Amino acid sequence: MSTLKGKRILIAKPGLDGHDIGAKIIALALRDAGAEVIYTGLRKTPGFIARVAVDEDVDAVGLSLLSGSHKELVAETMQELRSLDASDIPVFVGGTIPAEDRAALTEAGVIGIFTAEMRLDDVVAEVARVLVPVRAA
Amino acid sequence: MAVAAAASKADGQLDRRALGRALSRIANTSVEEALDGMRETAGGASRIGITGPPGAGKSTLIGRLARQRLDSGAAVAVVAIDPTSPHTHGAILGDRIRMDGVADDPRLFIRSLASRGANDGLADNIADVLATLDGYPFDEVILETVGVGQAEYAVRALVDTLVLVLIPESGDQVQAMKAGTLEMADIYVVNKADLPGAERIASEIRAVARLRRRLTSDWEPPVIMTAADRPDDIAALHDAISRHLAFARASRNIDEVRRLRREYHVKSLLMRTVTDILAENPRAVDCSPREAFELVVARLRERRR
Repeated sequence: MSTLKGKRILIAKPGLDGHDIGAKIIALALRDAGAEVIYTGLRKTPGFIARVAVDEDVDAVGLSLLSGSHKELVAETMQELRSLDASDIPVFVGGTIPAEDRAALTEAGVIGIFTAEMRLDDVVAEVARVLVPVRAA
Repeated sequence: MAVAAAASKADGQLDRRALGRALSRIANTSVEEALDGMRETAGGASRIGITGPPGAGKSTLIGRLARQRLDSGAAVAVVAIDPTSPHTHGAILGDRIRMDGVADDPRLFIRSLASRGANDGLADNIADVLATLDGYPFDEVILETVGVGQAEYAVRALVDTLVLVLIPESGDQVQAMKAGTLEMADIYVVNKADLPGAERIASEIRAVARLRRRLTSDWEPPVIMTAADRPDDIAALHDAISRHLAFARASRNIDEVRRLRREYHVKSLLMRTVTDILAENPRAVDCSPREAFELVVARLRERRR
């Protein structure tokens, strides 16, 4: 419980697809795990998303992508983050990501890829693994 | 205006990365660190507080208002607070999404905050967050409180101009709010004024405003009817805010303003400490109230050693 307390996470929807139920479910799951979640709303540009990530100084960005343009949009968002001196902010990706594209996204620096088959608890645990340093026993 | 050396890049652009990080550091500051680093909290950017009950349309209104103020040449920052769940400590910071139209405007700096332990409509460390913004080149800071009720008017001490946003459905609340939040505002807005009942609530508020002027001040708070998609209404609010900021600058006693802000700051740090002590000693309240009180006072003393 409250494993993500005090963590600020941006959930963003780049590109043109109009479905954000998945993004909202993830936002609520992260909130219920104690995170402070900012959601951008639909159809935002990579430049906008990177600027919000910087202004809000989030601990992670989650990109929700259902449009099939994930490779381009993820690359552009990471490029925009770099240009704002914010390449250290971890980026997660969720949505419809075919298995054959995952290696390339990981290669590009994406920290985790979440798909609809995953249990919410596992998504939260994976985010926590990256964001919350394990305390020495 | 005071501008911190680190605030701007060499080309004079706002260093948003540095500002974003500075605000996180401040928001996460412990009470002890806050006491050591307590800053002066008056004399920087003009501060406009926007408060009102949940669902009154504060965020949407701020979006329109911020655009108008940016277009008039002011450098504007928005700080928007949403409530933290006392159970999970999580929060959805959703104000930004309602500031549609202006949220995409790169001139505007918006920071969303969770209220965390504060239950006065503001957020932990808000005094220091605002003081930090004073070190950056903003002319104005618009502060949006959590949706409030009759008595959460702590924001009064921290801002120069306080706008209370009500809606026609707030009709019965006006009677109830005559004491408290309603007495604190410099400008009243009846938002969603295209809905039935708007004129009735506006006249009730006008009666309160006239009474206030007789009792306390040279400023008679205007009552402005707005609908977010009527540009003239937003312009009227914009003008009223500019008028009140000028009035406040000319008439206020800066030492008194500083004193009230320090008082709020110290009180909020004390409240946080007491809340922490009670959380760490959950059995404390099992004994008599007097014993529980003595325990908290003793723990407070230990902390300051």
